[in-house]
Formats: sequence, structure tokens, C-alpha cells
Amino acid sequence: MPHFTLPIHPPTNTNTNTPLPPPSNPYLLTDPPFTGQLPSSRQQTHPGTAIIIDNGSSSIRAGFSHSPTPSLQFPPLMARYTDRKLARRLTFIGSEIYFDGTARGQSKSAYDPPTSSNIINNWDVQEGCLEYIFSKLGLHGQNVDKAVVMTEPLANPAYARRTMSELLFEGFGVPAVAYGIDSLFSYDYNGGRTGLVVGAGYTGTHVIPVVDRQPLLSQATRLDWGRSQCVEFLTRLLRAKYPGLLTGGKITETQVEDLVREHCYVSQDFSGEMLSMLEWTGLENRDHLVQLPYQEKEVVVKTDEELRVVEERKRESGRRLQEQAAKMRLEKLVRKEQELEYYRDLLLRVQNAPTKKSARELLDEDEFKDESQLDRRIKEMEKSVRKQRNKDVGDLEEETAEVHTYPLLEIPDEDLDEEGVKAKRGQRLLKANHDARARAKAEKAAEASRLASVQREDDAYRERDFEGWVEERRAARQSTMQRIKDRDRFKADLGNRKSQASQMRMKALASLASDNPLGRKRRRGQDKEDDGFGADDGDWAVYRDIQRGNDEDGEGDEEEEDLGAVLRGIEGELLKWDPEFTEQSTQEAMRDWTKSLYHAFAHGPYVFDSESARESAQLHLNVERIRVPEVIFQPSIAGVDQAGLTELVETLIGNRMAGHTAQGLLARDIFVTGGYALFKGFEERLANELRGVLPADAGVKVRKARDPVLDAWRGAAAWAGKGGGGGSGSGGAFVTRGEWMEKGGEYLKEHNLGNVFT
Amino acid sequence: MAPITTASNETNHQALLDKLDIAKIQKPFRNPNFKAPQRRNKSVKQILSDASRREASLLTTQNNSGASTPMPVTPTEAGSLHPNPAQASQDLSRLVLEKNQKAAQTGPSVTYTSIAAAPSTRPKKRYCDITGLPAPYRDSKTGLYYHNKEVYAVIRGLSTAQIQEYLALRGAATVLK
Repeated sequence: MPHFTLPIHPPTNTNTNTPLPPPSNPYLLTDPPFTGQLPSSRQQTHPGTAIIIDNGSSSIRAGFSHSPTPSLQFPPLMARYTDRKLARRLTFIGSEIYFDGTARGQSKSAYDPPTSSNIINNWDVQEGCLEYIFSKLGLHGQNVDKAVVMTEPLANPAYARRTMSELLFEGFGVPAVAYGIDSLFSYDYNGGRTGLVVGAGYTGTHVIPVVDRQPLLSQATRLDWGRSQCVEFLTRLLRAKYPGLLTGGKITETQVEDLVREHCYVSQDFSGEMLSMLEWTGLENRDHLVQLPYQEKEVVVKTDEELRVVEERKRESGRRLQEQAAKMRLEKLVRKEQELEYYRDLLLRVQNAPTKKSARELLDEDEFKDESQLDRRIKEMEKSVRKQRNKDVGDLEEETAEVHTYPLLEIPDEDLDEEGVKAKRGQRLLKANHDARARAKAEKAAEASRLASVQREDDAYRERDFEGWVEERRAARQSTMQRIKDRDRFKADLGNRKSQASQMRMKALASLASDNPLGRKRRRGQDKEDDGFGADDGDWAVYRDIQRGNDEDGEGDEEEEDLGAVLRGIEGELLKWDPEFTEQSTQEAMRDWTKSLYHAFAHGPYVFDSESARESAQLHLNVERIRVPEVIFQPSIAGVDQAGLTELVETLIGNRMAGHTAQGLLARDIFVTGGYALFKGFEERLANELRGVLPADAGVKVRKARDPVLDAWRGAAAWAGKGGGGGSGSGGAFVTRGEWMEKGGEYLKEHNLGNVFT
Repeated sequence: MAPITTASNETNHQALLDKLDIAKIQKPFRNPNFKAPQRRNKSVKQILSDASRREASLLTTQNNSGASTPMPVTPTEAGSLHPNPAQASQDLSRLVLEKNQKAAQTGPSVTYTSIAAAPSTRPKKRYCDITGLPAPYRDSKTGLYYHNKEVYAVIRGLSTAQIQEYLALRGAATVLK
């Protein structure tokens, strides 16, 4: 009979997550985007050419209509200031401001706020940019003698258009101007006829239905999310994730913009990908480590010689101090001996004094009351001198310890005179002191022997009944951990005003402060002030309960039982004796960082050392890579109170265009243009989502512009080359200067790629 | 003037600045008599509020002005500009009057504010405020959504300022006016 055996693989240890070494090539922050001076072109002699300006919020693109690409691309920034040293006004435009720190600080954008508005606010900047464009394009006639095509945002307010026209016609003498919408230009350039145009720009996303080359602008809609809002969102996410890392201007806005461009992509299945994003396996591929510039902390490594020298010096100074102290003590000793001599001499003199009066005088000189006092003083001094001598000099031999006798204590009080009573009291004090010390010593010895005996018992128990001992130890460990947890929870509860712990604390405080602590009738004979508090040592423990101080300095632990140390002790014993209790089960291993989700989130699969300056200056982009671009589909992620892109398209096709002849055709050509389309996976995601919500016969097809960034300009150039939309009046949709002056500042000729007049 | 890029020293930085400065170059195309009107930099809010006020006043004047013959109110059909106006056989004058009336009643059809997208009607998916993962739970004390108990432990250790920062990411922070 055939017999198959399958190889048995040893189970791979899936519990351990091995930490990885740091990646070899972390991403770095980019330099400021100064790419050198933009070239200026010489005057081209093409007669019918026009100047095409794609006036976008991320960058202005300008060039002649006959060139294939715009010759100028720069952000709408201007820095105009007076330089102190040169004492003249300087003006810089576009990326060139990044070359100088002062210029960068003084730069203003044409839009305000620069991250969420696409309507021009600062016209001085716009004027400067136009000057820059015209001079770079090599115009040096009296006026600009070419027609200008400009793009404007969808539903541009009349004021903005009027001011722009004024600037062009009056300020620069442009002969004719036409306005259009950039995403429609791009659609036209890419051969679109009927479909839905999704213009995903820098400050907003526009959705415009186009039927038979005519845009239905009343059905168009704008979602306030674009690449600039992504940049702001990422900055705030990083600031919350790494507190303190983004402060102080360490990372500039342009650097965050580059981070967004380089690392973010649109996920195809957001929730699913999110769930697996922070899993350990493969985390090193998903997590991008960005290294910020840092300063290595100076660790002064002294050489061995230096260390030795320092030690020598320390020892020297110690020795010197000792010598000084010894000298001083010797001096004091000598002085004391001299005094002793003097007193002895005095005693002799007193004893040999002829009269009592002279003796009294001698004593009074030194403020002695009588002879016995002098005697006593002499005796004291002798003792102290001898002690000191023994300590320092060691000449005299040790005197035998005085036997402490308290003869006076036997005699009852009545028999003694006043002096004797005092002396007796002194002796009683001495005896009590001595007894107390002896008692303490005895206690210590008793304690030590007790501990030793307990340990012996424990060892005996272990040898006798190993299993039981292990069980007991494990139970003790569990209970200690529980007590630690309870203590922590109790401490945390105290912070909350309404918790049980806090209320109990208030009760304890109130009872301590009240006059009637027991709340009952005072017992007969009990004094008002004496309620017995403090007589028992355990009463003082109530103050420990009341104290609510935070544990930051850890001082509270010293008073209480150090449960942490107890736990460690128990675990040490278990480790030593218990075969099943391994390193893994200890409390330390339970707090293993490799299993921590938060660690994977903030530091990736790498070891994190908070002391290292290099590691503290690192950013890990893992979740943010898909979270940031996702907002266009789910604006609630960033708190934007609008519908997502899918929902907008769906309501547009489903509800607002209901009854329209072209309703069924719109979904067949969904055209995506603009900078946001550069995120990887944008069109697929949009297509998949729409296919899920639109009817099956809609035939969803999403396509991207050939060049999402520049096609708007190219479309405008092509349109201008064709005569600017041929339509009403001669000159297409261009408004000439004369017409403008006659018909007013807001005069607009509508065409199929522009706004309608409001 | 501090050079940012390290690849330049004082002198060639100065030279480059002179090269980049556009205040020095000739601008013959500029009209020398053109004086920019004062206070032309208006914020977006100002522009839009001015525009809406103008529309409102236009509406009221149109309604009572007698510039157009009052027509019986006809229900407007769905969709906007009819792609084929010649389909309806009507007088040219009646067409003009109708258009005027429509504009007078509803105001201009396309303005910057009318274009803005409406809030969503779909139920919102919740994501963890700390980590961004899907969040099945919500902390009642702070209002933050969290993914699992480990993140909850992190939330409990946050300070008030950090909590407000996380809520502000979602637009749910308390703003005191």
C-alpha cells in the first residue's frame, strides 16, 4: 500500500518579532527648491502668436502659444523689501526667493490663505509675476503687443476678473485678453467631447460635466481639497505624532510638500490596507524612514591618562583636607589640655586658699558656683581629652569601659536631698538611654535571626514540596501584579473628581477636620481634644491615603511598599528554580516593544533609543502614506464637511443630471487632470469606486490626461492658435482693449472653455 | 543677507542676488501712468460677501422694477442650459423675457459659493485619531476614536493640549470664541 509521509516542519516561532537593523538608506529632506535662474527668451517673430498664462495656485506657467511647452514655470511668490546694506529695493519672484533667507522670510503669495484659496488676493504679487513673465519672454516694446490668454478658477468672482483685466489693459497695454478654465482646456486638448472632467488641482477639486463640448457649469461643483491641504494635513499629523520634532522651523513647508509628493499614494482598499499596515511582517517595506538633520551629542571621552590625572588630583585634595582637619584637631586638643591644666591649677589654688572668700573669688572669676562643679568640669575635660588623644594620637592606652551603675535609683526619693533628686533624675535618663540602645541592638539581632530562619524554612519547604512551592510563588506573583495594577488605578482615579476613590478621600479629609470625628455622643469622661488619634501608630497612615501627589519623582514609592521590587524578587526566585518560567514570561518581557502597535506606528520595526540624537530626529511615514491622499475620497478624515469625490460624481450623474439626454454617456469618459492625479493609483481607485455605485450599463471608464500638469497650458495654447474659439464677433472670445473700455470692466465673452457671466 | 545654500559664499551670493533682482531691469512694456488703485487686495471672504450683497440687491430691484413683463410662473425643468434652444419654437422676445425672469428669480446660476460641494449624506467611517487604523471604539471622556486597548492606554496618558490637537485634526476640537 502506498505510504505517503509529509515532512513535518518545526513550528516557526511566530511569537517573536525580531527587531531589524536600521535601514541603510533613509530618506532625507530636500533642499529648498531653487533651481537656478529661469532663462529669458529672445523676441520671437511669430505674427499670430499669443502669450498663454496658466495662472494656477501652485505655479504659474507661461509661454508663447507656438512653443510646445511653457518656457516659464514658477510659484506665484514675490519678495519685495529694502536691503539695508545696499540701500535699495529688491524684488524677487518665484523660486528665486529661496536663494536668500531674507527673501524667503519676506515672500508673499498671491493667494491668501495660500493653502486653501484659488482666488487671487494679493495683486502686487500678481503684478510682479506678470512683469517677470513679460520681461523673461523678451518683450521690450512700448506695450505688450501680443494677445494674452489667461486661466481663471471656476466661477471666478467678478471683482477678481475686473481687477485682472484692469491690470492687463491699463498697466501693461495688452491688446486683447481671453479667460478660460484650465481643466476644460486640458480636456479639450486631450480630445474630449462628452464626459466628466475632474480637475484635481492644488487648492481644490472641480467636477464639471461636459456635453458635446459645452460645459454645464451650473452642475459643476468644487470640493475644497487639493495637494496644498494634503501638505497642511501631513504637517499636523506629524506634529501630533512626534511632539517637539516639528517645532522651530526644522521642516519647512516645501519640504513637507516634497514628502507628500514622494511618499504618498492612493490606496485601492483603504480599510483593508490600513489594518495590515502596521503588522510586523513586511513593515520595513511599508514604513519609510526620513532622517532629519541632527546634532550628535558631545560625549567627552577622556583618555586613560586624563582619567588618572583627575583621580590623582582628587586624592591629593582629599589628603590635604584630611591633613588640615587633623592639624586643627591637634590644635584643639592642645588648647583643651592647656585649659585642663589651668583648671587643675585653679582647683589647687582654691583648695589651698587661705580664706573662704578668696576661694569664692577665684571660683567666681571662672563662673563656677562651687568646688564640686569645678571638680566635675575637670573630670569631663579629662575624659574628653583622653578620648581624643586615643583617636588622634593614640598615646594613652584605652581605659576600661566604665561600668554604668546607677546607685541612686535604688534609694527612694524621700531620703535624698534636692541635689540628690536631680542627680537621680539624671541617672534615670542615662539608664533609659542605655537600655533603649541595648534594646535596639537586641531587636536587630532578633530580626536578622528571624529572617535567616524564615529563609531556611523556605528552602526546606522548597526541597520538600517543589510543586507546592512553585505554585505558591506564582500565586504571590499574580497577587503582587494585581496590587500594582490596583494601586495605579487608584492613583488614576484620584484625578477624576467624581470617582469613588476621590469621594472616599473627601470623606476622610472631612472626618479628620471635623470636631466630632465619630459623629456620636461623646463618651463619658472623654476629653474634647483627646479623641485618641495618634496614640496608635497606625492612625498616621490616614495621611498617606489622603495624599494625592503625582508619582513623577517617585518619592511616594519609598514610603509605600515597593511592590515593584517585591515583584522582581519573586520573579528572580522563579527564574532560578522554576523550569517553566522563562525570560519570556517575566513582567519585563510582557512589555516587549516588538509587540507594541504604537512602537510600530511611531518607530517602525527598528529599535528606538530615546537618548540617541540621531534616532530622535527621525520620522516614520507608514500610515500617513495612504491616509493623507485618502481625504479626497473621505473628507471626514480631515474634518472637511463635504462629500467625497465618489459621492459627488455619483450624485451628479445620478440625481442632478437625471432626465438629461447625455446622462448615460457621462460616465463613459471620466477625465482626470491636475496635480493630484499624479498620486499613484488615483484613477484606478476612482474607477473601482464608481463602478460600484453607478448602474451597470454606465460603462465607467476613467482616463488621465497625458500630462496632468502641463496639458492645461497646452490646451490653452492650442485654443489660441485656432483663433480663440471662433464664436461671437471677430477675434473669437478675446476681449479687446477698446471693447473693455467701452463695455465696462466686467465684460466677458463666454466661450465653451470658460466661465459664464454672472 | 544670509545665503541658504552652502555652496556659495558672500561675494558670489551677492552677484547672484543682483542677477535675480528684477527691480533693476527695464520694463518698457509697463505703462508709466498706471497707478494701482489703493486697497485692491481683498480677502476671499470680502470678495464673496460683496458679490452676494450685490446679487441680493439686484434681485430685489429686478422684482419690482417693471423692466420685464411679469410672466406666469412656469416650473423650471431639470438640467440647465438647453443644448438645443431652437427645439422649442418660441418667440425670440419671449425667450429673452423668460431668461430675464429666471435670472431675476433665482439669481445667477453659477457663483463661487454655489459651486461648493454639499456635505455628505453617507455615514462616515471612523478612523483612529492616533494611528489612523479603523476605529471600532470611542473614548467617552475625550471623544477620541481608538483602535485597540494599547492605543487606549496611550490616550489616557495624553495631556489636554495633545487631545485638542488630535481632535482638531478631525475638526472636532472645542473652539472658544
